[in-house]
Amino acid sequence: MNVDRVQVESLVPLAIYFLLVLGVVGVMLAIPRFVAQRRRSQARDEPFESGILSVGDTHLHLGVHFWPIAIFFVIFDLEAIFIFAWAVAVREVGWPGYLEMLVFVSVLLAALVYLWKLGALDWRTRRQQLQDSLLSERG
Amino acid sequence: MQGLLPLIPLCPLLGCLALIFGQGLMPRRAVPWVGAGSVGLAALLTGMVGGQFLGGSLEPVTVTLWTWLRSGELGPDFALYLDALSLSMLFIVTGVGFLIHVYSAGFMADDPGSARFFAYMNLFVAAMLILVLADNLVLLYLGWEGVGLCSYLLIGFWYQEPANGAAARKAFVTTRVGDTALALGLFLLFTELRTLDIQPLMEAALNHWTSGDPTASLAALLLLGGAVGKSAQLPLQTWLPDAMAGPTPISALIHAATMVTAGVYLIARMHSLFELAPDVLLLVAVVGSVTLLMAGFSALTQTDIKRILAYSTISQIGYMFLALGVGAWPAAVFHLMTHAYFKALLFLGAGAVIHSYHHEHDIFRMGGLRQRLPVAFWSFVFGSAALMALPFTSGYYSKHEILLAAYAGRGGAWLWAGGLFGAMLTGLYSARLLFVAFFGRANTHASEQLGLSMKLPLFVLCGLSLLGGFWVIPLASVFGETAVVPHPPDGIGLISTFAPLVGIAIAAAFYWQRLYSSDNLMASSLGQPLYRLWFSGWGFDWLYARAFVEPFKWFARINQRDGIDGVYRGIAALARAGHAQASAAQNGRLRWYVASLVSGAVLVVALGAWW
Amino acid sequence: MSAAAIGSAELTALLPIVTLGTTAVVVLLWIAFRRNHAEAVWLTLGGLSATLLALAPAAGTGPRDVTGLLRIDGYALFFIALFCLAAIIVVLLARDYLRERAEQPEEFYLLLLTSLLGASVLAASTHFASFFLGLETLSISLFPLIAYATRDARALEAATKYLVLSGVASGFLLFGMALVYAETGSLAFGGTAPAATAVLQAGAVLILVGVGFKLSFFPFHLWTADVYQGAPAPVTALLATVSKGAVFAVLLRYGVDAPLARLPMSETVLGTLAGASMLIGNLAALAQHNLKRLLAYSSIAHMGYLLLAVIAMQRIGPALAAETLGFYLAAYTLTTLAAFGVMTAMSPADREAEEIGDYAGLFWTRPAIALLLTLSLLSLAGIPLTAGFIGKFYLFIAASHAALWPLLGLFVVGSGLGLYYYLRVIFRMAASVGEGTAPGPSGALQVSLGTEAALAFLGLSIAVLGLLPASLIDFLAAEALR
Repeated sequence: MNVDRVQVESLVPLAIYFLLVLGVVGVMLAIPRFVAQRRRSQARDEPFESGILSVGDTHLHLGVHFWPIAIFFVIFDLEAIFIFAWAVAVREVGWPGYLEMLVFVSVLLAALVYLWKLGALDWRTRRQQLQDSLLSERG
Repeated sequence: MQGLLPLIPLCPLLGCLALIFGQGLMPRRAVPWVGAGSVGLAALLTGMVGGQFLGGSLEPVTVTLWTWLRSGELGPDFALYLDALSLSMLFIVTGVGFLIHVYSAGFMADDPGSARFFAYMNLFVAAMLILVLADNLVLLYLGWEGVGLCSYLLIGFWYQEPANGAAARKAFVTTRVGDTALALGLFLLFTELRTLDIQPLMEAALNHWTSGDPTASLAALLLLGGAVGKSAQLPLQTWLPDAMAGPTPISALIHAATMVTAGVYLIARMHSLFELAPDVLLLVAVVGSVTLLMAGFSALTQTDIKRILAYSTISQIGYMFLALGVGAWPAAVFHLMTHAYFKALLFLGAGAVIHSYHHEHDIFRMGGLRQRLPVAFWSFVFGSAALMALPFTSGYYSKHEILLAAYAGRGGAWLWAGGLFGAMLTGLYSARLLFVAFFGRANTHASEQLGLSMKLPLFVLCGLSLLGGFWVIPLASVFGETAVVPHPPDGIGLISTFAPLVGIAIAAAFYWQRLYSSDNLMASSLGQPLYRLWFSGWGFDWLYARAFVEPFKWFARINQRDGIDGVYRGIAALARAGHAQASAAQNGRLRWYVASLVSGAVLVVALGAWW
Repeated sequence: MSAAAIGSAELTALLPIVTLGTTAVVVLLWIAFRRNHAEAVWLTLGGLSATLLALAPAAGTGPRDVTGLLRIDGYALFFIALFCLAAIIVVLLARDYLRERAEQPEEFYLLLLTSLLGASVLAASTHFASFFLGLETLSISLFPLIAYATRDARALEAATKYLVLSGVASGFLLFGMALVYAETGSLAFGGTAPAATAVLQAGAVLILVGVGFKLSFFPFHLWTADVYQGAPAPVTALLATVSKGAVFAVLLRYGVDAPLARLPMSETVLGTLAGASMLIGNLAALAQHNLKRLLAYSSIAHMGYLLLAVIAMQRIGPALAAETLGFYLAAYTLTTLAAFGVMTAMSPADREAEEIGDYAGLFWTRPAIALLLTLSLLSLAGIPLTAGFIGKFYLFIAASHAALWPLLGLFVVGSGLGLYYYLRVIFRMAASVGEGTAPGPSGALQVSLGTEAALAFLGLSIAVLGLLPASLIDFLAAEALR
């Protein structure tokens, strides 16, 4: 392998590209300064959503449970891809491959058990949980 | 015996460590027991080792403990060397040292820092023992510096008084001048002879140099420089009178009996080298006799009891240098020994006076202490008798030998005459001290309150001062038989015997019978400047202050803001500016961090491409 | 690459990594069923000890390539051992730290184990795939660890910053790997290309950018102080030792294995990064009064120093470079753990003792702790008779053999600057209690026996490595780095 210095000429296109990027961004940022009107009014300062005036508060109260469940879904979904890859080559890898996949799946299973015991899969809100436990105590 | 030898310096060292680390834990009463006990143990061991050695063939013994350090050809061992000379020193250091430790137990009983005091004292004894037992000059230098350090610490023992600190500093800096000369001497010896082990070094010197060789003379001169510093001889004698700022037992142990005689020991130890340099040897004799005269005159004018004794010490060490200079090695060591007895006695006696009399130092405010302080009085009588070399006291034998040797030596009659006049002066100032402080009208309210621990050492030292002259360690095995002095005519001996009596007679006329007044003498036109000159120690302090201290201070002052400092200030300012820059980048904003990361990446890629 | 290549010898070689992974799963399940702090701690400690024990059989199989992704050799095993040791100490520290602070402290140990798994894989990796997997396992475990004190806004801020910046850096790393792969056609470190093209070079540099972020070289260092400060002290200890050590281990292996790391430009690039890091790190620490930030800046400088070993590797050979790196990292790990351990032991339950003022007069109030911190700071400063001195000495030898004179000059300048701020802390500790503004945080944490033992071990080993470095050096030269 030739470890001598790299010819600078081969970098010329890259450098031109880099300068072009800088130039384009600079021009785009500069245009409004010359073209745009500088005026402040109430209507101008409103947020603009495709022509619809925004109503209400943006701070929506989404149940925080929604996010973990979504993330778990994505994670476990992705793990399934590995099983697909194994399924394609199941004959070539043979029993050792089967064992490896077994280990993989059992680790996943352990994680699922953990999440389950943690209550992460519980859809109820805290208040609902409290009510349910009170009910079960009475019952 | 070989096994016991290393234990001798180890005992006080362990005592010192115990005192340092036991501070606060050890009951107050135990402190003097540890301090004096460790030295007592060392004295006991010295007695056993010495008995065996003197009973044997007097062959030198070397005990190698371990190789201390190794650097190229230089590989000094941690080795101890015992011969008749180091044994003599060993007896003095442990024996007299033990007595002074016992005395200190009483003297320092009320001092809050007594644990620190004994720790320093023990450390001093350990260092001094290493100095005298060292088999090579590097180890000797270790002990040499160790005793210098302890001297510094102990002179400034009462450190709340700024004057004491100044005295300690003066002693340290002045002896440092000599130490530097000594170190240079060691370097020279090593580069020339490739060894610093004393015995091989002496042999190599004899093989390598002929008598009068300039290099040998230079080496001897440098060693002499170290010796005059430590032993307070001309021109480095100025520190010793000020060193009296320390507690009196310190003055007895360090500044009379042991440390200040290290210079004498060094020259005696290296006598083969000095014999190769007869000119330097003559210089030793001249330094000794000039010092003994000058110090004698100064002692005559002092009023502080301890300063009189300090000048007397300088003067007596001058005698030892005189003896060394004329090649009378055994006489020098003999006088070293007897001087240790009687000067320790005198200092401890002075300590008893000071202890009993509200820390008064001025002899003219004393007077008539004879009845009130009998123990101190008799200590002074015996000590002064030995100091004056009255017949049959220990000092008589040693000083007599020195004077006879001086008469027969190379300097001839001049050195002898100097020594003789010095003996007369010794008689004069000793008797003056005795008459002024102990006789005459009693105008004080002192009462003697000395414990047994203070009295006992005084008694023992009285005995040694009187009878110590009869017990001589044969030094022929060290210096060779040729060192025996030929006998000069009998008249010479007789004259030197009577010289101190003349001094005593003059002192009696002035200070006892008061036939003449010393005040008139001092007031006369010739007497006044002479008195001032002698009182100030011949103006050496003034001279050195003008010649060295003030120019140095001046230079330091004008050099306060020099360019070199500017460089360092610049570096500091640069670092501070860099810090400001570096921390300004840390603004905590994520987008700035990302921008920095990305632009850093671009820069690094560009750097890689550019190369 | 095929699964059939795994025999019993390979399994034995992998045993430490497998043990770590198994421990993580066991702890996970245990937490799911029995939530108990003490049991989680004991399980973790047991698993870490088992990993340490598994190193011996793994070493017996000799240097061995496993699945083409990992090489289990003395080098990898030495670093795994070092990381396990560091993790044990972090566990002991964290136990006290979390007892009062966290509602659910058990997951901490789980995350610790997974981060350790990532670090171990990194130390053994010889392939871009295992490199990236190990790095991400390590990093992703660190994000929640940094934010473990979820009630502390600063911890969340630190974790967010680290997450975002790590993402950016990983992007650079992946881009670099892709460029290199495009030229060499191989993901193994040893892949060769017919010519040193610009693309290859850009790839190599971009990989360096990704790695440089993790090691906080200038100019990728800005996150360090904020993240160090925000993270809980035991996590900072982990971040400063295991995370950096693992990345350095893989960097050196990459440098040794990959021919493209020996392009002449890489020396320039690395040299610039190293020199700038030494200078900037030390300068930024100079007047810092927050001990955590101070240690963060000092770590930037230390990583700069350590880069010398990698640069020198091309001239002095991999053996000496690995020996230098191994010793320095061991010394640095022990020393840094000691510093953060002291900080953990000094912190009251409601905050951390991170201001230097918190340590004023410590010598008079808690002399043993003060002595340990002093030892640790002196070791960081490279004062003789400490482990840090031997490490610096090693670096000095390596760099002077390689004749890296300008960098060596910066090394000396940096060490001089370092002395200033380390000693400043020590002087503050020696100040008498009356002088300081605060006599140390009141109500400092109740220190358990485990923390005390860990701190005593650290102090002892710093001193032993400083006094008798030969014990480790011989081991490194003979056994560990074949």
